[in-house]
Amino acid sequence: METSKKLVLGVYDNPDKTYSVTKKLISSGFSVYDVYSPFAIHGLDRVMGIKRSRLTVAAFIFAMIGLSTAITFQVYVSYFDWQVNVGGKPSLHIPTYIPITFELSILFTAFGMVSCFFIVNKMFFGKNADIMDIRVTDDLFVVAVDVKMSKADMGSLNQLLMDGGAIEVRERIKEL
Amino acid sequence: MSYESPIRDQLVTGGKTYRDVTREITRPLESAPSKGWWFGFSLSTIVLIIWIYATSYSMVVGLGAWGLNKTVGWAFDITNFVFWVGIGHAGTLISAVLLLFRQKWRMSINRSAEAMTIFAVICAASFIISHMGRPWVAYWPIPLPNAFGTLWVNFNSPLVWDVFAISTYFSVSLVFWYIGLIPDIASVRDRATTAGRKFWYSFFAMGWTGSARTWHRYEVISLILAGISTPLVLSVHSIVSMDFATSLVPGWHTTIFPPYFVAGAIFSGFGMVLTLLIIAREVMNYKDYITEEHLDAMAKIILVTGTMVGMAYITEFFVAAYSGVEYEQYAFLNRAFGPYWWAYWTMMTCNLIAPQVFWFRKLRTNPTFLFIMSIIVNIGMWFERFVIIVTSLHRDFLPSSWAMYAPSIVEVSILIGSFGLFFFLFFLFIKFLPSINMAEVKSIIPTHAHADHDHSHASHGHEVIEKGAVHGN
Repeated sequence: METSKKLVLGVYDNPDKTYSVTKKLISSGFSVYDVYSPFAIHGLDRVMGIKRSRLTVAAFIFAMIGLSTAITFQVYVSYFDWQVNVGGKPSLHIPTYIPITFELSILFTAFGMVSCFFIVNKMFFGKNADIMDIRVTDDLFVVAVDVKMSKADMGSLNQLLMDGGAIEVRERIKEL
Repeated sequence: MSYESPIRDQLVTGGKTYRDVTREITRPLESAPSKGWWFGFSLSTIVLIIWIYATSYSMVVGLGAWGLNKTVGWAFDITNFVFWVGIGHAGTLISAVLLLFRQKWRMSINRSAEAMTIFAVICAASFIISHMGRPWVAYWPIPLPNAFGTLWVNFNSPLVWDVFAISTYFSVSLVFWYIGLIPDIASVRDRATTAGRKFWYSFFAMGWTGSARTWHRYEVISLILAGISTPLVLSVHSIVSMDFATSLVPGWHTTIFPPYFVAGAIFSGFGMVLTLLIIAREVMNYKDYITEEHLDAMAKIILVTGTMVGMAYITEFFVAAYSGVEYEQYAFLNRAFGPYWWAYWTMMTCNLIAPQVFWFRKLRTNPTFLFIMSIIVNIGMWFERFVIIVTSLHRDFLPSSWAMYAPSIVEVSILIGSFGLFFFLFFLFIKFLPSINMAEVKSIIPTHAHADHDHSHASHGHEVIEKGAVHGN
């Protein structure tokens, strides 16, 4: 497995330019490693061919886990483990379990999904960020082209990035 | 890539560039606090000390320090709890419901509204714990096996539902808030000049790089969090209302309570958001981000929800009359014309009548007037809870048990002190975290490439030159 990647970075100051240059790069056969931006650029994920995240599926699974945990727990406690006679009311009374079941489904969904989000992005507290440009969280946009994976002629890359309105083009080795 | 509505005014005024946004919003974090901040922070710390003293006193002496009696067993404590929980609803409403409805004006106010939510729920929880009288047994509502010394909790009780609802609401709001903060914490990290700031913001930024793949997943989870938070907000205050509605006490025993409480919560929450934001835009000079359009939009919501709440008050009266239950009928007549008539009419004036001024746009966009109105709304909503709780309890079925309630100085101190707790946390928040969501605000600024397009304006061309100058150095 390779331990580092050679990237060519095009730095832009505008999301529209970033979007169109990414589109052009991909259609001319370059492999766009990633695009870095201070905010989400809408439609860029589709252009880059990023598959729809399966976090939605994870969310649903966690919701179901929360739902079944809550129902099982409440039925176990109030019917099987220890029945308490409160004013002669029934011990097994599903409708009154609904509020807690609802709350726990949401709690499990939120925490489960967000944990998965951190795991797939390899994010954790105290992680050292490998940022492409110090201003990528401020006002700059970086398009990173993977040199090795690209099928097109490298000579035209620089021109393509500059034509797209890049304010700077540079190379960078990214440790993986 | 941003779509600009032809009929809406610009959400961010002053022709800001992305860099301006970062610089202006991180300024309070990077410079020494202003005199205004120190004044507010010191004042809230003093009030917080009152809260600590009064609460500890109640715990040491016992709840006899409060004005409660055998008839009125819930009064200031639960009034304050419901008041604070209600305030805590606007934050999630703004960020979740308005996200689902794609209302972009939420973007510059959602961060501080969510922070407000979290701090308000902390205040609310403090009342729940202190009203138990013995905070060291506060774990009793948590379902623990009988062998632990407590009985299993009764899942038929709305008070148990409430424990789950409030703690879920608090945790999910905290997660939602933190997820929204990560990109902005990364912005602060990358601008940090001191080692301490660099360390702490790096720690909490979790290695954020702004990668498109991460942003894609980020948008997915934000949408789902909004989707699940919306029913959560509605459920939490519905469950709070069931604490009352599932009882048989006249005045509480009504089916209208859940929607009525939810509307009231949104109403009071927006009142508090207005109070905070009008101060923030003055003190921190955020007038370009929190414009009069934002204030106008919030005033409209106050008008709608205030009228809904007012309609609920009138409906309650009608239902009591129509039901033919004399206890219910007496409870409502007693509210309006009994010994606590002044509380009832304060509530009516502040919540139903006062917001009707917002039919006029001139008044909706006048910050000074709005500030006064937001205080009136808060007072009105506090009295609503007082009226519901105290007037229903003090005279119910048995006239021989009728009693009056008056708060003790300790209870009043705890109420005032809870504002100290709230503002103490809020002042820390605006000092250490960006109080406007920079990433979202940047996404609604018009992109400057418009000059290249056919529909270019002269003003955009000007901005391109300005930006070019920034990058030239």
